[in-house]
Amino acid sequence: MNNCDRTVLRSATHDELMPKTGKYNLTEWVEIYTDDLYSWALHKVSDAELASDLVQDTFLAAAEKLEKFKGDSTPKTWLYSILNHKIIDHYRKKVRQPVKVENQVFSTFFDEGGDWKREQRPQKWGEEEEEHLLDDLEFREVLKECLEALPEKWNTCVKLKYLMNKNGDAICQELDITPTNFWQIVHRAKLQLRNCVEENWFK
Amino acid sequence: MKQIMHTLFLSCLKATELIEKKIHFRLSAKERLQLKMHKMMCDACSSYEKQSVFLEKGISLSEKKEFSPEDLQQLKLAINEKLSEMK
Repeated sequence: MNNCDRTVLRSATHDELMPKTGKYNLTEWVEIYTDDLYSWALHKVSDAELASDLVQDTFLAAAEKLEKFKGDSTPKTWLYSILNHKIIDHYRKKVRQPVKVENQVFSTFFDEGGDWKREQRPQKWGEEEEEHLLDDLEFREVLKECLEALPEKWNTCVKLKYLMNKNGDAICQELDITPTNFWQIVHRAKLQLRNCVEENWFK
Repeated sequence: MKQIMHTLFLSCLKATELIEKKIHFRLSAKERLQLKMHKMMCDACSSYEKQSVFLEKGISLSEKKEFSPEDLQQLKLAINEKLSEMK
């Protein structure tokens, strides 16, 4: 983790950040740490506006809890821990959102016996092209639109693996959901996503 | 007959569910075998798996975001303003 390395390097400046009054100067922290906190948040949530909000909330929470900060860790480490909690909270809320359309998905794609409906059977996409397809900006745009067309919760769930950079078990543990629940959401999301991409690109 | 086939070799609904489970978690030995048998008999689910893995690659690529220094400056100003309101 690069961030940890940098934290160690930065710790030397920590004492300089304490004004004579013995209080920490948050405005200086904003100046020094916002860039790193923001790029970390953006990396984790992939949404500029949301990342800004999370960083802002982090500093507001820090201001409220400042008295509890004893300087045991560096300000940077402390701020990161607040931010990381906020990120996890955000995902927890997302993943717990009820989604109304959930049950329709299976009946759209499968008959009562669980077989593909004739018109919904996945078609061959032409595998040779697939690798290059991801370099095609037009295709990427279609994929992006199809992702955005998913219910918000599903969209979050299919991206979580890459946003949190963790495997399914770790994600479920952190967000406090059951693995079954998680992969079933992903299942519905992927059925819809696959269909959307096929409709809008391959047909 | 169909019922027996589904119990032994899974329905397509169940097979695609296991495909997603496989991508994010691990399958048990029994599940692995069932899925393998199912795919041998079912072109649609074999295509589904290839496409699903492909889509995973696409999803992972779609997450790269850029940001500008101006936005950061704005953000710092906004935060400081909020902080001064708190006092």
